[in-house]
Amino acid sequence: MKRSKAFITPLINEAAGFTLIMLIWGAASLFYPPYIIPSPWDVLGSVKTFLPQDFMLHLNITLYRIFAGFTISLLLGTILGVLAHLKGWSAPMNSLMLALQVLPGMVLGVIFLLMFGLGSATPILLIATLTLPTLALNTMNGLAKTDKALQELLVTLHARRSVTFTHIILPALIPVLQSNFSLGIGLAAKVVVMGEFIGAQDGLGYLLNAARITFDMKEVFFYLIVLLLFTLLLQALQSLFSSLFLKKYFYPE
Amino acid sequence: MTDVMLAVRNVSKAFGAHQVVDNLSFTLNRADRLAIFAPSGAGKTTLLRLVAGLEQPDSGDITLQARSVITIFQEPRLFPFLTVEENIFLPFKAQGRAISPSDRQNASRWLEVSELLPFIHHYPCQLSGGMKQKAALIRGLLGHPDLVLLDEPFQSIGVESRQSLIRFMLDFTPGQTLLLVTHSGEEIQQLAQKVLVFQQPCLTRPRECFVENFSESGWPARQHEIMINNSDASPVSPVSAPHGLTY
Repeated sequence: MKRSKAFITPLINEAAGFTLIMLIWGAASLFYPPYIIPSPWDVLGSVKTFLPQDFMLHLNITLYRIFAGFTISLLLGTILGVLAHLKGWSAPMNSLMLALQVLPGMVLGVIFLLMFGLGSATPILLIATLTLPTLALNTMNGLAKTDKALQELLVTLHARRSVTFTHIILPALIPVLQSNFSLGIGLAAKVVVMGEFIGAQDGLGYLLNAARITFDMKEVFFYLIVLLLFTLLLQALQSLFSSLFLKKYFYPE
Repeated sequence: MTDVMLAVRNVSKAFGAHQVVDNLSFTLNRADRLAIFAPSGAGKTTLLRLVAGLEQPDSGDITLQARSVITIFQEPRLFPFLTVEENIFLPFKAQGRAISPSDRQNASRWLEVSELLPFIHHYPCQLSGGMKQKAALIRGLLGHPDLVLLDEPFQSIGVESRQSLIRFMLDFTPGQTLLLVTHSGEEIQQLAQKVLVFQQPCLTRPRECFVENFSESGWPARQHEIMINNSDASPVSPVSAPHGLTY
């Protein structure tokens, strides 16, 4: 694939997704009054009236929290998933992660708030804890699909451990990491809002909460779209990275 | 080093109630080319897996004197994200061995004979079944292993190609020790020096047989020519396979 095409295709895909959401939103706004669902053009037209001067500061803080929380859960989830696969701990790990998954986010958020106070710790830990089970389970299930026939071939060749890792584990891990990224970043963008609702006095979640309290739906929708755009942009970057560097691992069956 | 490359002594293996290998013994000397001829489902592949160390016998023991053993499976088992070239040099990489210029030269000759040279930078998904199997064969034989275990490796390769590959294989690796399991009398005639014939739907009490006694269809041509090394076993019928067995 040419580099320019590899760059443009993911952007086009994400732009198409974004356009579709905007169309659905626009269509829904035709059936509801603006104080419930304002139209996209209404929101865009009144940005100047509600956008705080320190918006970029709030945006940066939220992005930092998403990255920090997501990085922790991606690393931890991948390590736990790989360990469970290699050590045969799949069944207990499965139970543990399912138990973690049913913990209500609000309760955890309050616990983290009481433990760490207001600030970045609560949203970051909330993202890490709530996205971890999905990523660990996804890693474990993905690795369960390693090619046993190829594994046997390497056994008969007395292959070095590093070769087994690069030829068996890594190729199974790459599609898993890709889907972990897609699943996790969307989930992290959702959880950061909850974390900032509960335990922060800055960030997009905090602004969103303030707008929600005053029923300023134009502002609510604006911050949601900012989060959506951020998620789609990261998704496009991840697709670009895959098409440029990992293409050989995505082969037809 | 002793001349015995492989010694299988009183080996038994069952999967549940199904006895696949029963008290089997045989030896394979250096430069021997031994074929195992048995009914479908008799456990030929299990025997190769036992020798390759992929299965453990329930009883008995298998002694390998060979330093390097390569298994060429029924399926090509190529890595889908490696090119043909990367796949055929994989054993070198897997064992941390350097690829010498003569290895590269040998690979080119192999690829030429197997008509794979134009596809050297292709991925397995871009090859036909026969081409994949040829690549697997080259991968197995390129490093001159002490012992090669072949599990019906020519099954998916066309007749002409198969014959040229077998010819090249014998020229390229004279004195190569081979243990081959096959259904094909033609392969036995071309590749093996002696054959162990199994009558039961389980690997036990083999009869040793000369290759010349095999017809191309796979069945020994004349009953009296079969060398029976197992006095209590009944002779193998050349006319019709024992009831219920498919060769």
